[in-house]
Formats: sequence, C-alpha cells, structure tokens
Amino acid sequence: MAGNKGRGRAAYTFNIEAVGFSKGEKLPDVVLKPPPLFPDTDYKPVPLKTGEGEEYMLALKQELRETMKRMPYFIETPEERQDIERYSKRYMKVYKEEWIPDWRRLPREMMPRNKCKKGPKPKKAKDAGKGTPLTNTEDVLKKMEELEKRGDGEKSDEENEEKEGSKEKSKEGDDDDDDDAAEQEEYDEEEQEEENDYINSYFEDGDDFGADSDDNMDEATY
Amino acid sequence: MTQAEIKLCSLLLQEHFGEIVEKIGVRLIRTGSQPLRVIAHDTGTSLDQVKKALCVLAQHNLVSYQVHKRGVVEYEAQCSRVLRMLRYPRYIYTTKTLYSDTGELIVEELLLNGKLTMSAVVKKVADRLTETMEDGKTMDYAEVSNTFVRLADTHFVQRCPSVPTTENSDPGPPPPAPTLVINEKDMYLVPKLSLIGKGKRRRSSDEDAAGEPKAKRPKYTTDNKEPIPDDGIYWQANLDRFHQHFRDQAIVSAVANRMDQTSSEIVRTMLRMSEITTSSSAPFTQPLSSNEIFRSLPVGYNISKQVLDQYLTLLADDPLEFVGKSGDSGGGMYVINLHKALASLATATLESVVQERFGSRCARIFRLVLEKKHIEQKQVEDFAMIPAKEAKDMLYKMLSENFMSLQEIPKTPDHAPSRTFYLYTVNILSAARMLLHRCYKSIANLIERRQFETKENKRLLEKSQRVEAIIASMQATGAEEAQLQEIEEMITAPERQQLETLKRNVNKLDASEIQVDETIFLLESYIECTMKRQ
Repeated sequence: MAGNKGRGRAAYTFNIEAVGFSKGEKLPDVVLKPPPLFPDTDYKPVPLKTGEGEEYMLALKQELRETMKRMPYFIETPEERQDIERYSKRYMKVYKEEWIPDWRRLPREMMPRNKCKKGPKPKKAKDAGKGTPLTNTEDVLKKMEELEKRGDGEKSDEENEEKEGSKEKSKEGDDDDDDDAAEQEEYDEEEQEEENDYINSYFEDGDDFGADSDDNMDEATY
Repeated sequence: MTQAEIKLCSLLLQEHFGEIVEKIGVRLIRTGSQPLRVIAHDTGTSLDQVKKALCVLAQHNLVSYQVHKRGVVEYEAQCSRVLRMLRYPRYIYTTKTLYSDTGELIVEELLLNGKLTMSAVVKKVADRLTETMEDGKTMDYAEVSNTFVRLADTHFVQRCPSVPTTENSDPGPPPPAPTLVINEKDMYLVPKLSLIGKGKRRRSSDEDAAGEPKAKRPKYTTDNKEPIPDDGIYWQANLDRFHQHFRDQAIVSAVANRMDQTSSEIVRTMLRMSEITTSSSAPFTQPLSSNEIFRSLPVGYNISKQVLDQYLTLLADDPLEFVGKSGDSGGGMYVINLHKALASLATATLESVVQERFGSRCARIFRLVLEKKHIEQKQVEDFAMIPAKEAKDMLYKMLSENFMSLQEIPKTPDHAPSRTFYLYTVNILSAARMLLHRCYKSIANLIERRQFETKENKRLLEKSQRVEAIIASMQATGAEEAQLQEIEEMITAPERQQLETLKRNVNKLDASEIQVDETIFLLESYIECTMKRQ
C-alpha cells in the first residue's frame, strides 16, 4: 500500500500530531505492572457535611440498625450445637415477638405444613432411650444367669460392675431432650442395681462359700 | 444487575434481616424469577427456611410473585427496592421536618414493618409516644389518626394492593396465589375508623434490659380476639412521593445557591402548587400564571407584583433553564423544567467530582468540553489556556477514568487513523452511569469497613456494654458515688481511648454512607428521567 515508508521501520499508522505528541518527541514509558492497589491521591477528600439534620440522621441510622436486629423479621442462623451447654447462654437469649404473616396475601404454598412432626419424634427418642438400658439390663441378667450356672460368683460381680459403668457413661452422653427418659433409666437401673447387689448366685451356694472351704484346705494340706 | 449492586444488596439484606434472608434474596436478584423448589434446591437451604425468608421479603415489598401456567408460582426480587433501604433515615427525618414526631414515628413503623394496617400503626405509635411523655400523660389515638390522615392526603403513605373480594359464585378451586389489585382512586382513601383509646405505657416491671425470660411472657396478641375494623387494608410508605420531595428540595437549594433567597422561595411556591397536579415523571410542571403565583406566595413575603415579575423574568432567562416561559396569558405563564433541572444537577455533580479528584484545571477543561460538545485536542489547549503538555495529560487522565470519550470522525471511508479526526466529548448519561456504579462500590466498601471495625473491637464493645448495664442497674438501686467510680474504672484508660476512636470511625463511616446516598439519589433520578424521555 502506498504509505509504507520502508520495511521493518517503526512507523505510526496515524498522524501522531493529532494525539498531541510532536514528531520525534520522547514518548512516556510503558507501564509494566498493574496500578497500585491504594494509590496516593493528590487531592484529599472534602470534609463531610455537618449540621443538625445530618447528626439526627446519623443517630437514626444507628438506632434503626439495632432495632432491626430485634425485630421478628431478623431470622438468625441456627447455631451449631455446642458440646457443653453454657449456663450463661440461657440468660442471654433475646426474646422476640412472634410475627405471623397474613396468609391471605401470600401464595398457598407458603404456609408451613405442620404434620404432627412433634409427636413421633420425642416418642421415638424416649423409646430408644428406654429401650437400650432395658436391653442392657436384660443382657446383664441373662449373662448373670449363665455365670450362675458356671458358679463363678465373684467374676460375674465384676463383669456386672463393668457393664453398669459403661451404661452410666452412655447415660452421660445422652441429650438433654431425653431428660425424663434418662431419669427413668437411672431409676430403673438403680432398682436393678439394688436387685443385683444381692446376686442370687452369690449366696445360693451358701454351703460352699467361705469357712467350709478354708477349713477343708487347712486340714487337707500336710 | 451489576456486581456492585448485587454486593451492596447482599450487605444490606444481611445487616437488616440475617444471613438466611440474604442468601435467598441475593439468589433471586441474580437469577431473576424462580419457583420455590428451585430456590431451595439451588441455595441448599431447607424448604421451611426458604418459606420463612420469602414471607419476610414479601412483607417488606422486596419480593413479588406471579402465577404462571400450570399453577407454578414464581418469585421475583426488586433490586432497586432493596437499595432504598439505605435511604430510610432520610425518609424518616424528612417526615419529622414536615409532620413532627408523630409523623416521624408513623413512617418509621411503616418502614420497619413493611406494611401495616392503620389501626396497628396508630396503636404502636401512640404507645411509643406515651413512653416518651411525662408520667401521667398519654397520647390520644385521635391525634395520631389525624396525622395519619394528613400523610395519606399528601400521598406520603399509600395503600398496598389488596386481595380482591371474590363472591362465592366462583366454582373452581382457589388459585395457588392471590392476584393483588389496587384501584387508583382507592390508593389514598383512608377507611372510616373510629379509633378510640390512649397509648399504653409499658410498666417498668415488664421492661427488662437483659431480656430475662419471664415465666409466661405476655403476648401482645391479646387484641386479636377483637375483630379488627380495617382488616386486610394495609398501608405502606410511598417512596416515590418522598423522592419527588427530595427532588424539589434539591432544585430549590440549587436556585438559592445560584441566585438568592427570594427566587428560591418563588420556585418553592411554584413546586408546591404543582405537587398534586403534576405526575412525578413529567418533564415539566403544569403552566402557572404569574397571578396565581403571586396569590400563593407564603404570607411572610410581601414583595410587590412587579418585583415578582422581574424575578420570574430573571429566572426564565437564566442559562440553566430551571424555569421557562410558556405563554403570556395571565401575566405570563411559567413552567419549571424538571428534566432540565435534574440534568443540570447531575452535570454539576460530575463537575464537582472532577474538580475534587483531578484539580480545578481539569475541571476547567471538563466544563469547556461540556460547553463545546465536541472539541479537538489542539483546540482544548487554545480555549482553556493551559500549556499543551498539561492539557494532554489531564485529558488522558479523564479519558482513562471514563469521564470523557473519544468520537472518531473519519475523513476517508477506510477509517485510516492518520486521516481521522478524534474529538473529545462528554456523554453525560454514560458518565453519570459510571459515577453511579462507583457510588455503589463506595457504599459497599464503607459498610464492609464498618463491619470490620466493629468485629475487631467486639470484645471491647461487649465489655463496655456490660459495664454500662451494671452502672445503670446500680444507679437504679441507689448506689454510692464511690461504687460507681469503681465500676467505671473496670474500663482502663487505653481501652477508653480505643472505644472513642472506634466510635468516631463508625460515625464517620455511617455519615459517609448517608451522603453518598444523596449523590446516588440525584444520579438515579437523572438517569431515570432521561431513559423515560427516550
């Protein structure tokens, strides 16, 4: 094309004077890095407006912020359950008014469907709660009967104590929802314990226990 | 919706309604209208939570719904309405200046609750006012009702669209969602209620600063047993009317700055006369004759008719063209050019931003380019009387920040750069949009910084709150000065210093938010009216 002033030589495709640089002038350096994140400003910002209106609006704004947090429209995220329930948390809860929207103005699908969820759940928990210690005690009784037949009274006593210890530990791990159930568990176990304290096997073979065997042993050794 | 707007909406929703509502709201703003199950699935929240969040958003007029075919209901969020939450303090303060404390509290309750029935508003406001009054005095419902009626008459509050009353002749199953309708005539119609009563003061035993649980907290819904006379008629704050008021305020103060107090009063009178007759989006007010204006001037002003005519002529001849003359009957018919006024205000904002950012010489160049509309590089140096190098530098700086743009005018059809004119020009609409976007970003930054500052000093803030609570309770039970002193010393001097600094910073950030919002209002009004014109 006409206008090539020589191959390979750098030439501007447009009239450099139009952009404001005179011919042959040193062009500004090429910038090789992104602009700084917080550049210095030559001109500092103008101070904020002050006045009665502005102060009032400022106070209003801060007040509104606090008020909104206490309204029933502020839905808090459900906290994760903590390992140990802090005593102080019970007294720091903020009580909010309940708000019920006008269902006539909203689509029908918005209404929460309460299908007796509250009924079965705690019952289940209670059943589960009650079930395990009962089965535990049943197992223990069965085991004890077996051991009775073997005639090893002391060992069964120790095993019994171990089993009761593990049951108690599992009790402590129970949720507080099952308070009633736990109490019942404890009560049941206490009853059972009382019954188990005096193990039948311990005293049934009363003839073989204690003095007789010792006397026999003494006399037997020579 | 730009990213900056979405970010700002997210911060506002989180601060005012919590994280769950924020998640749902932002999802809707981002993706447009969606049905319930899709929202629950995409955000990973349970259906129950989504329903609660949508109820809250609908109550505050932030989300609307529509029934599509096959009975699917889709929900849509209004991003611009969410951004209005920044302006709540300004709305409330404006009502205070116009209708004093009663009006202020009415608008505050309406804004905090989204929508309320008139009886609910009156009761709440009366209770609140009674709290602040001296012992033994109570606020009468009638006074609050009167203020409410006045607010409705001047259109500051309006009725929400309501469920249409269908007769039982409709045989089909009820629709999945009601279609809310409102009749233009009924929008400001106050129902005939005879609200009799006085505000109730909460007994001091009921007030618990720490919110300790009582055995059975008295529920405030005991009144639901009585049938509410205006059931189903909800009221909301009419934000458009407030915006109209702000616009009028801006025009009047601009005239006062440019000319003098008297001319601003004249303009204020003209605007007041056209409040109800002109719609908020009209390009200019209805023509007003000079005689009418003379009769409607406020009582304190005793300027003669001739002086008024002189002022009007001056205003009409002003190059800013706030006031225009549209005829000669009745002593001269004058209009206020609302769109031109907004354009001038937006331009003035742009000029001021350029001046504060780049200096007064840059501002001179900017004004020059505005005046000349299209101007070449060489001519800029000549007209502005600024040395070439500096002028070049400033032009490029403004160009890179998008305050200006280049217009190419090719001399030849092949658009060869050497044979093309490059003219600098200012496109006010796009520059205003750019500035608006920057404002959204600034407010988002301000809010984030404020939250960061508060989080950093959370422990200290909680400690100081506890100490204050202790001091308050001790004062109530009559403690000695020495004991109070001891408690106060629980906060050490450097901690006190830290608290002071924190308070000052938070105040500054909050005040900045309010003022950036004023700029946002001007720019948004300008952009809105320009888009309507096209």
